[in-house]
Amino acid sequence: MSTLKTTLTGYAGYRGREGHWAFLLHRITGLGVVLFLTIHIVDIAFVYFQPALFLDALALYQTTLFGIGEIALIFCVFFHGVNGLRIAYFDMFKPGLWSIEMQRKTTRTTLIIAIILWLPAAVWMVRNILLHNYGIVLFGG
Amino acid sequence: MEVRMRIFRFNPEKDRKPHYDVFTVEAQPTDRVLDVLEWIRGDVDGTLAFRRSCAHGVCGSDAMRINGRNYLACKVLLRDLGTTEITVEPLLGLPVIKDLIVDMGPFFEHYKTVMPYLVNDELPADGKERLQSPEQRERFDDTTKCILCAACTTSCPSFWSNGQYVGPAAIVNAHRFIFDSRDQAAVERLEILNDQFGVWRCRTAFNCTEACPREIKITQAIAEVKRAIQTGRVE
Ligand code: HEM
Ligand code: HEM
Ligand code: FES
Repeated sequence: MSTLKTTLTGYAGYRGREGHWAFLLHRITGLGVVLFLTIHIVDIAFVYFQPALFLDALALYQTTLFGIGEIALIFCVFFHGVNGLRIAYFDMFKPGLWSIEMQRKTTRTTLIIAIILWLPAAVWMVRNILLHNYGIVLFGG
Repeated sequence: MEVRMRIFRFNPEKDRKPHYDVFTVEAQPTDRVLDVLEWIRGDVDGTLAFRRSCAHGVCGSDAMRINGRNYLACKVLLRDLGTTEITVEPLLGLPVIKDLIVDMGPFFEHYKTVMPYLVNDELPADGKERLQSPEQRERFDDTTKCILCAACTTSCPSFWSNGQYVGPAAIVNAHRFIFDSRDQAAVERLEILNDQFGVWRCRTAFNCTEACPREIKITQAIAEVKRAIQTGRVE
């Protein structure tokens, strides 16, 4: 088996527990943010090189599709950040916390914290998309 | 109870690609997966290849993927799998030699790189024994339990992506000597592991700790080695 095939078989097929899923989500969210940051550097650079295109880029960000992408991006940033702090704290300061019970529990807590941080932003962003793109007033119109 | 065994088959002399064979077997809930494999090999298909030696979780020969997760076939009861549909596959990330047998060569090569033996060139004070307090012995007790079955290393996403990663089992065995008060080569071992293919490949995915048939706290041991590298102290 090629290395790539082994890797993908393992990612998708191995029956890991919380840690396996946290690892995958951390990698996916990290790469997601890298992808966004690349696009983001290009779009901000337009201000300098192609000011007219910058306005197009802003208009693109206001479309529903990009709006949904931004809501996902916020989740990526929150999950990646909270989980990253958890891993760094365990690894650098408290190796003794790496027990099966603690790992399972703190992974779940990390997900819950990320969702709690993300929800208000997500609700507000959904409201804005509905309001600006469809004229639907959810609240605070 | 009747179980349906779906077994990974690959014969390098005949097959170009692996396939799966299905065997329906009458078994007891308290039978182990190894018992069922033995029965298939003995009574149904003598060409089925797998390793086993002690059959009691001591030698580390029969680590394999059972329903997608690494186990010792001799340590897992059918009833604990929670299903009668059982898929058995070879460990992931090592080359398959035949059926459930993988080439353990790369695994042991990594093991050898960490100097997994006591290094101490000084004569003991009394000329006979190197004494150690119960606390000093306790410090590395957990990592002495390793049986080198490779269940941990082949459950590790970093190892799947890059076989150059030294892997959890080698780090566990380095830990066993790094934290042994009688040993004098901690600095060398920490240097070996302070490498992009050493401890820093560990992404704390925890599959190793979940898979270890000896319940070694592997991720903790790896983190202790990471910390020793960072602080320069072996505590
Ligand atoms: C959807 C949410 C976001 C919006 C609407 C947004 C918008 C902007 C804008 C308008 C600027 C230009 C500011 C200025 O120079 O005056 C900027 C700069 C920047 N943003 Fe974002 N941003 C977002 C998310 C992010 C995220 C998630 C990251 C990090 C991963 C990020 C990283 C940066 C960086 C590094 C700059 C500085 C670029 C520079 O000054 O050349 N942004 N952003
Ligand atoms: C809130 C700030 C952040 C924290 C606390 C953080 C923390 C971490 C940590 C601890 C790791 C290593 C994970 C491990 O060894 O298991 C990591 C990996 C990574 N981070 Fe971040 N990070 C942050 C922001 C970012 C940003 C803004 C990006 C993208 C531009 C990013 C992209 C990545 C990527 C691609 C990986 C590699 C993932 C992998 O190997 O699976 N991170 N992060
Ligand atoms: S056969 Fe020896 S560990 Fe299973």
